[in-house]
Amino acid sequence: SSFEGDLRKEEMTTIRRFSCNDLLRFTSVNLDHLTETFNMSFYMTYLARWPDYFHVAEGPGNRVMGYIMGKVEGQGESWHGHVTAVTVSPEYRRQQLAKKLMNLLEDISDKIDKAYFVDLFVRASNTPAIKMYEKLGYIIYRRVLRYYSGEEDGLDMRKALSRDVEKKSVIPLKRPITPDELEYD
Amino acid sequence: MSSKFGLAGGIPERRVRPIWDAIDSRQFKNALKLVTSLLSKYPKSPYALALKALIHERMGKPDEALSVCLDAKELLYNDDLALMDDLTLSTLQIVLQRLDHLDLATSCYAHACGKFPNNLELMMGLFNCYVREYSFVKQQQTAIKMYKLAGEERFLLWAVCSIQLQVLCDKSGEKLLLLAEGLLKKHIASHSMHEPEALMVYISLLEQESKYNDALEVLSGDLGSLLMIEVDKLRIQGRLLARANDYSAAVDVYKKILELSPDDWECFLHYLGCLLEDDSIWKYFDNIDQIHPTKHIECKFSHLTEEMFDSRISSASDLVQKLQRDNENSNLRGPYLAELEIEKRKFLFGKKNENKLLESLLQYFLKFGHLACYASDVEAYLQVLSPNKKAEFVGMLVKNSDSFSDSATKVLGQTTTILKVQELTGNIFELPVDEIEASAVKLAKLYCQNLSLSKDLDPQESMFGEELLSLISNMLVQLFWRTRDFGYLAEAIMVLELGLTIRGHVWQYKILLLHIYSYVGALPLAFERYKALDVKNILTETVSHHILRQMLESPMWVDLSNLLKDYLKFMDDHLRESADLTFLAYRHRNYSKVIEFVLFKQRLQHSNQYQAARVEAAVLQLKQNADSVEEEERILENLKSGVQLVELSNDIGSKTLRFNEDMQTRPWWTPCPEKNYLLGPFEEISYCPKEDVKDDREENMKRAIQRKSLLPRMIYLSIQCTSTALKESAETNGSGGDVKICGELKCLLDEYTKMLGCSLNDAVEMITGISQGVRTSESLGSNFVDWLNFAVFWNAWSLSSHEHWHVLNSLFERLILDRVRSMGSSDMSSCYSDVQVLIQIVTEPLAWHSLIIQACTRSSLPSGKKKKKNQHSDQLSSSPMSQAIKDSIHSLCSTIQEVSSWLLNQLNHQEDEQVERFLSTLKRDEDAAGGPGQILGVLESFIASSEELEVGNRIFQALKSWNTADTARKTVMAQQRVLREFLQICESKRKLLETLKQQMSHV
Repeated sequence: SSFEGDLRKEEMTTIRRFSCNDLLRFTSVNLDHLTETFNMSFYMTYLARWPDYFHVAEGPGNRVMGYIMGKVEGQGESWHGHVTAVTVSPEYRRQQLAKKLMNLLEDISDKIDKAYFVDLFVRASNTPAIKMYEKLGYIIYRRVLRYYSGEEDGLDMRKALSRDVEKKSVIPLKRPITPDELEYD
Repeated sequence: MSSKFGLAGGIPERRVRPIWDAIDSRQFKNALKLVTSLLSKYPKSPYALALKALIHERMGKPDEALSVCLDAKELLYNDDLALMDDLTLSTLQIVLQRLDHLDLATSCYAHACGKFPNNLELMMGLFNCYVREYSFVKQQQTAIKMYKLAGEERFLLWAVCSIQLQVLCDKSGEKLLLLAEGLLKKHIASHSMHEPEALMVYISLLEQESKYNDALEVLSGDLGSLLMIEVDKLRIQGRLLARANDYSAAVDVYKKILELSPDDWECFLHYLGCLLEDDSIWKYFDNIDQIHPTKHIECKFSHLTEEMFDSRISSASDLVQKLQRDNENSNLRGPYLAELEIEKRKFLFGKKNENKLLESLLQYFLKFGHLACYASDVEAYLQVLSPNKKAEFVGMLVKNSDSFSDSATKVLGQTTTILKVQELTGNIFELPVDEIEASAVKLAKLYCQNLSLSKDLDPQESMFGEELLSLISNMLVQLFWRTRDFGYLAEAIMVLELGLTIRGHVWQYKILLLHIYSYVGALPLAFERYKALDVKNILTETVSHHILRQMLESPMWVDLSNLLKDYLKFMDDHLRESADLTFLAYRHRNYSKVIEFVLFKQRLQHSNQYQAARVEAAVLQLKQNADSVEEEERILENLKSGVQLVELSNDIGSKTLRFNEDMQTRPWWTPCPEKNYLLGPFEEISYCPKEDVKDDREENMKRAIQRKSLLPRMIYLSIQCTSTALKESAETNGSGGDVKICGELKCLLDEYTKMLGCSLNDAVEMITGISQGVRTSESLGSNFVDWLNFAVFWNAWSLSSHEHWHVLNSLFERLILDRVRSMGSSDMSSCYSDVQVLIQIVTEPLAWHSLIIQACTRSSLPSGKKKKKNQHSDQLSSSPMSQAIKDSIHSLCSTIQEVSSWLLNQLNHQEDEQVERFLSTLKRDEDAAGGPGQILGVLESFIASSEELEVGNRIFQALKSWNTADTARKTVMAQQRVLREFLQICESKRKLLETLKQQMSHV
């Protein structure tokens, strides 16, 4: 599996826990139209509950290159890591930074929290992102109808972790589901 | 307690649920009905009352809600049998918090805890109350009680965090830390420690006490295994070693990290800092105030002999070379950038290695020059170069980039990089005008040629060469600054607007445009571009500086009011909810976040922008209603007669303001809101002063906010003074209360002038000198709206002095007419900064003065309500003061008439004519060698000849929809709108004065 060996070897930039002050420093990343700026209680709830799932990558001159936020949740075999947002500043794209950030979250889900899989949602129309996630080993697990503000479909993508030995968590569902069928928000 | 029996606050669950359902679905009327019937059955239930209070609050009836809360509290306190469960108390707390009566909620919990001293749930509730109140001492006491009761690790850590917060925020004695350390040690001895966050707190506590070696011991002991991520542990270890001055051990640790992650840039800097025993990096580490640390980290070498320096630097070089070898096949930038850092240190040490530094920069360019981040990567190294070396380096880049042409995107990337380096080094400011023009034309062609690369891109993705248009626009603005040929600015607008037509998501274009539009007075468009940035939540704190100042100095009051409202709402919401999130961090045992949240809340609370916005929101209301003294009095009443803002002013004086704005995104010509190079003559600047602006900003901002927050009170007092003055003028003997008012106004005037940097006497001398023409208005500097405000209130304080009225009149006349004359018949685009000043004079000092006159007139007029006798007015009409008022009205009227005439003259031109004039600045003579219009020419002819096959349907359609004249028209219309709104304000002031003139003529 991709988790053999020390994954830290792959992390190249300074990646550290996200802190409140980074909210004041991520401006040029968040002005990008694809990056949503959430309200404060959203960010701070993630920081207060899952600080290990919220990381920032910093470049020379302490510039914010990108960040990832996520959480870990679920019961029994659906105990999993979730990627809520991952974003990289245009200035630092095409350097595999998103991959590094994703690997870190997968690593923490796998090794520290012993989760079964990691999942994420993506707009069905966002082909570039879907391709990237596929390259990182994610599989389209199911389609969620009208997931984005009741209009656009979302894709629920998953990647199995070492604890899911038989990779049961990533066997794609045959039919699409509706948002109210989702187990978690 | 009660809930154990399927009861909620002593009431069966099934009776309560429908009420909550109704509240959740916002059917408040229904909820109220249900709760009323519930109360008829359980009239003494505090829980039912709490629910009723909640419903009232949600229905927007705070008074009713509070009175029901108080009833519930009474029951809780008086009835020993009353159920005092957490559900009731927390429901009450929700309501009381929203009613801003946290103290009541706290006392309810405190009372409950006194009654049931062993109830952990209630104690947690009480602890939460203290978290909301930021009472760290009481937090500590409550947490210790809980720890003693339950013996749980988490409660001990709650107490420790509360202690750390006392030291950090209340500046309590550091002895407290010793207590915390003792408690932790004792706990560890008997129970060990089980959570990584707890360990982090323990270490941070020891660090706070400067016990680095103790912290290291803990980290390397059994507890160290709690930290599961090796690199994180190493980072802490390295930091502790360095702070303990054990540099050689720290070097080894950092080396280890670099071997694990060779691209960890911060770690490399720490490694080098420790190697050279240079602690400046730690100082900069401690400085939490810096959101964007200065790029130029100072280096200390004095403690090293040359020999020592050489040997250490050579071991650093060895490590870097090893890292480069080990990672040969990856694209890591770190080990190569490290080489530059080493050369820079050598250079700063005094080695004559400038050429070697250039060579390394070039090597880095050849490897990474096509990446968008090259320029920002090397910024710190370019800075140390001497001017001629900077130019030499640019030359090297140009020469070497040509030899690379294997891929179009790489060439594009390199060309863009070279331009960015030219900007960063200031090299571009030294080039002759025609060279810059030629370069811009070249870039425009490059942009066009490469559009086809983006043909198949998803519209969401950034396009190739997007940055080129920003660079071109930066050059055009510079050309404008040098030549004052407006055509260049017009062209910059066109270039960026075309860019947005091709891809509307580029925020860099929007920011540049908003600043250009602001400069030429097309503020509505600037605001539109700002809105298109979708600035919300925390971005309102970091990004709104782009537009806020221009809006404050504009007549666009409705938009400004919304802007301020949104921003203040965000800040106030956060300040309110932050404590709840802090408690969430406590509950989830993420103690390090507890401290972080509290410090962050303070940081936002002390934001200079927040403080300024609070004052400006109040002043805006006063500006908007200044035509009616009755309206103004109503506003002032809501502002507690300005008292709160005076308190704010005093408060700010003793505090450090925080600067959270992200200035990095600002264009080169306006590195901070108070500065705009385009307003002054061309001078060579390097791009780098961008970061120097911060130093004197704090003091200036502080004073400006303090001054402004005195305004509402001074307005209030001035209005009060008018009645006194008239009485005095009629009767000669004043009364006690009025003396007090005058005295307070005098004090505020003293304060105000102090914050203008002089004494009251000097200030009076200054304005008198200017009104008499002995001094020029330039001696007032840039704050002359503030000076005029001073003159207005100084006159209000001494209304009976005819001379003071005269000084004020001629001051207005001089300052306004000077501006109007200097603007003459020039176009709005070239004199908007003057218009901006006029807007401020008319909407502030002139408005306040008119208001004071209005108040004077009101007191002098016979009115049913007032007990003034007619004979007063008779006496008044012949009194010198009445004459002074009349003169002042007359003077203001004619002054404002001049402004109106200028505005009317501008507005008289037909729109088409204006558009034509705008476009003509871009028209070029076929034979002319240079001048504006060349770049637009390149772009337009490309549009005309472009083919769908080549650039793809999406880009093709966008290009075909482009219309230069439309953009010109939009700009002109936006300019006209600003002028019209200003004219409206001037006219309303003039009408007001005319009415007052009429009234006075009857006196």
